[in-house]
Amino acid sequence: MNGIQLLLLFGVSALGLYYVTRLRKTVLDLAILILLLSASVIFIIWPDLTNEIAHKLGVGRGADLLYYICILLFSFALLKLFSRIRRLEQMFTKMIREDALKNAEHNAIDQ
Amino acid sequence: MEHQDLYIVIPVFNHDEHLKEIIATLKQKGFHNIIVVNDGSEKNIFHRIREFNVHYLSHRQNLGQGAALQTGFDYAIGLNAGIVVTFDADGQHDPDDLPLVIDPVISGQADICIGSRFLSSQPVNMPFSKKLLLQIAIFFNFIFTGLKLTDAHNGLRAMNRKALNKIRITENRMAHATEILIEAKKNQLRVEEVPVTIHYTDYSIKHGQSSRNSIRIFIDLVFYKLFS
Repeated sequence: MNGIQLLLLFGVSALGLYYVTRLRKTVLDLAILILLLSASVIFIIWPDLTNEIAHKLGVGRGADLLYYICILLFSFALLKLFSRIRRLEQMFTKMIREDALKNAEHNAIDQ
Repeated sequence: MEHQDLYIVIPVFNHDEHLKEIIATLKQKGFHNIIVVNDGSEKNIFHRIREFNVHYLSHRQNLGQGAALQTGFDYAIGLNAGIVVTFDADGQHDPDDLPLVIDPVISGQADICIGSRFLSSQPVNMPFSKKLLLQIAIFFNFIFTGLKLTDAHNGLRAMNRKALNKIRITENRMAHATEILIEAKKNQLRVEEVPVTIHYTDYSIKHGQSSRNSIRIFIDLVFYKLFS
C-alpha cells in the first residue's frame, strides 16, 4: 500500500466518522453512507478495478469514470443544498413577516 | 383622490431621504392609507415619519424588496384593502401618475396595472446603460412570462383584491417584479400598462439597480423556474 492510498483511506474514514457523529443518523442515510464508503475503500485498495469497470462502460480510464461520477454527485449535492437553503429562507421570511405584522404601528396624528 | 380601500405600500431600506416628502405629497393628494414597510434598515425610519398617520411595519432583518412588498400586501389584506399600489421610496415615481395607474383597476379594466416609462415620453435623465439593461430585462421578462410589455421592473403598479389574493411573492429580492408577472399570467389576471414618468436623479441612480443586480435577478429567476 502506498502513501496516497493511506491518505485517501484516512480521509474517507474521517468523513464517515464525522457524518455519523455530527450529521444525520437515519437507517437509510447510514446504509447509503456504508455503501459509498465501502466502494471508496475497495477502489482505493484495488484501483485497477475502476479501470475494468470504466472499460465495460465505454470510458477510457478509471480516473475519468470517477471524475464523471463526482461531477454528477456534486451537482446533485448542490441542487439539494440550494433547495434546502431556499426552504430555510422561506421559513426565515415567514418568521420575520409574522413578527412585522404582529408589531405593526399605526399612529393617527394628522387626520 | 379619496378611496377608502386603497392602500399604498412603500418598501424602504436604509435610504429614506425622500420618504418624508413622498408621504407628505401623497397625503396632500388625498392618498391617506399608506403602509411603510421598513425592510431591516439600520436607521430608525419610524422616528422620521411619525408625524404622519401611516401604517408602519418593520422587518427585524433585511429580506429584500419582494419580501417587504408581500409583508405590505398581507397587512393590506388584513385591513380589507380593495386596491393596493406599490410605490418606490427613492423619489423616482411621480405621485401625479397614481391616478393613471389606479384608474384601469378601479374601472375593472385590469387586475394589475403597471407603470411603463417607455410608453409615451422618454424617461427623464435615464442613463444609456440603464436603458440597455431594461431592454434586455424586457426581453427576458417575455421569455419568462410570455407577456409582451414595454417596461420591466417598474415599481409603480396597482393591483386589485383578486390579484392580491392570487399572487404570493416568494422571491424576496428584486426578481419579484417578474414573479408578479409570472403569477399574473398563471392566474389569468388582466395586466395593463400605462405611461408614467420616472425621474432619474443622481440619488436614484446611485441607489437603484446595478448591472450586477441584474445578473442576480436572472439567476434568481432561473432557480425560481426550477424550484417553484
